Amino acid sequence: MSEFGPTVKAFLHQLILAIFVVIWLIPIYAMVINGLKSEFDVTSTPVFIPPLHPSLTAFAAVWSQLDVPLLNSVIVVIPVSLVATFIGAMAAYYFYLLSVSKRRSLNFMSNTIFSLIALATFMPYQAVIIPLTRIEANWGLLNTYGGAIFAFILFYIPTAALLMSMFMAVLPRDIIDAARIDGSGDLRTFFRIVVPLTIPGIISTLIFNVIEMWNNFFIPLVLFNVAKQTLIPVAVESFTGGYGTLYNESFAAAFLASIIPLLIFIFLGRYFIRGLVTLGTGGKGAV
Amino acid sequence: MVVTVKLSKVTKTFKKGKRNVEVLRGVDLVVERGACMGVLGPSGTGKTTLMRIIAGLEVPSSGEVYFDDKLVSTSNRIIVPPENRNIGMVFQSWALYPNMKAYDNIAFAVKNKGEETRKKIEEIAELLDILHVLDRYPRELSGGQQQRVALARALAKDPSILVLDEPFSNLDARIRDSARALVKKVQKEFGVTALVVSHDPADIFSVADVAGVLLDGNFAQVGSPLELYDSPVSASVARLVGEINELDGVVEGGKLRVLRGVVERRDCQDGNVKVGIRPEDLRVSETEVQGMISLGKVRVKVSSYTGSSFRLVVSPLEEEKVELYVNSDRPMPINSEAVLLAKPEKIKVFKNN
Repeated sequence: MSEFGPTVKAFLHQLILAIFVVIWLIPIYAMVINGLKSEFDVTSTPVFIPPLHPSLTAFAAVWSQLDVPLLNSVIVVIPVSLVATFIGAMAAYYFYLLSVSKRRSLNFMSNTIFSLIALATFMPYQAVIIPLTRIEANWGLLNTYGGAIFAFILFYIPTAALLMSMFMAVLPRDIIDAARIDGSGDLRTFFRIVVPLTIPGIISTLIFNVIEMWNNFFIPLVLFNVAKQTLIPVAVESFTGGYGTLYNESFAAAFLASIIPLLIFIFLGRYFIRGLVTLGTGGKGAV
Repeated sequence: MVVTVKLSKVTKTFKKGKRNVEVLRGVDLVVERGACMGVLGPSGTGKTTLMRIIAGLEVPSSGEVYFDDKLVSTSNRIIVPPENRNIGMVFQSWALYPNMKAYDNIAFAVKNKGEETRKKIEEIAELLDILHVLDRYPRELSGGQQQRVALARALAKDPSILVLDEPFSNLDARIRDSARALVKKVQKEFGVTALVVSHDPADIFSVADVAGVLLDGNFAQVGSPLELYDSPVSASVARLVGEINELDGVVEGGKLRVLRGVVERRDCQDGNVKVGIRPEDLRVSETEVQGMISLGKVRVKVSSYTGSSFRLVVSPLEEEKVELYVNSDRPMPINSEAVLLAKPEKIKVFKNN
């Protein structure tokens, strides 16, 4: 076997990376070019061949259907992700404090509540959607913003708490002890030290929550679904009919629906990566 | 307000799996107002636990902790939480807040943030020679600077007591001595009660007025550092405080027999004993020396240079297995023979156990 020179090695690395990037870009590419095709072209030309006469007709057609759901999604998902991440981070810090406490009762409490939260995260929300629907119907929240927000908050705070706990676990205990000794209360320590040190984790959790909620189809389908008053995944799905599918409009709708998560990921993605790196390296990325 | 710290019969038990581990066993301790107490001990003897109990970060299993006459901790209960104890603490890791500049690290501990505080922080920074790095983040500072920022943070709030946990162990050997001198200086200047915990006797000797040796969860000996060094109560204390040669000896009718030497020792009971002699109390020579007694002929095995003096490893001619460290002002040829001399008053006798 021959030894590869450093240049060849670097080239191979780049090549493999390029291949993966292309594989990942194929669906987005297909989504865009097929959205630009006419209804006839989309069924008569191969899916990876760009249109001869690109037109925005499909985008224009779906926009009138998607504008309200898109706005609804922004109204519901962005604030709820922020609130869920924030409360989740606070909860995670509380668990951190309990877990480093030497009191056995507190330790037991921490383990119990934490297990409950983990259970809440791993439980499929489909399993509790019927009681939830009844509760919302009783409270008059069904098909309202409040109802969707309530359901998302319910399901995504535990997720955020669980994710943030992993980032909190790498906080050096000496630093928290030092803050206590310096006379800082829990709230001040949280805002002045814990939040700045776990920013990559907080942003990662935020992005995760935004994308999960944005793509959540089932909750709005059941709880927030009256004509155009729904969220974007349900609205996109409506282009796939039981009697036939308008492929070009489906592609265009899918593209419009993914713009916001894509933009968020592009702008905050490096924090997301840094957050993941933090988890792997014992906290170096947090500084 | 600087306080006197008093511990009374403090115990601490940890659960390790199914086993109970007793880390501290009835520790009594008084650190007088303005004094600097050193706690010396090998790892795992409860030094850090003791310090964390004083800071209020750990609850004693039984016993009481007083700041002056005020009870701050008692059995399984913290009465005054750490945030209200007004403690200045320097952690082994320094525990600087990585997201704050040096100035904000120091100011974090201070309640009011007025112009007066700024002046005070700058004064302390000037004293500790970190004035020019106050606007840098901890990661941009050298180890010594980080340690001084941590010290400044502990001092800036006028602490009732200053607690230092292995404050020099993360520093380069080169700057350790100046750091020790600085700590001593500011401790006296501020007149603050201080507790220094370390496994390195050099830290204790250079900083502490009083020192205690913590062994197996209790103080084996408390006294001035010199007392610990010259009159240790046991071989373990002697070993911990400094390097020492340990030999077997016999006392008979007020005479101690060790190697080929005989020393008058009226204060010892007859029987087998352990004998300790520090390397600086031994000398290798061809001739007799006034005031020293001969322990017999020895052969030089190793002769090395330790920076300012020479260090020999020698063995008695008839007992090749016994090796002694001897300080010497000149190197000796390997395998040369000479007489081993000792200062009789410096020979330490311990019970055989």
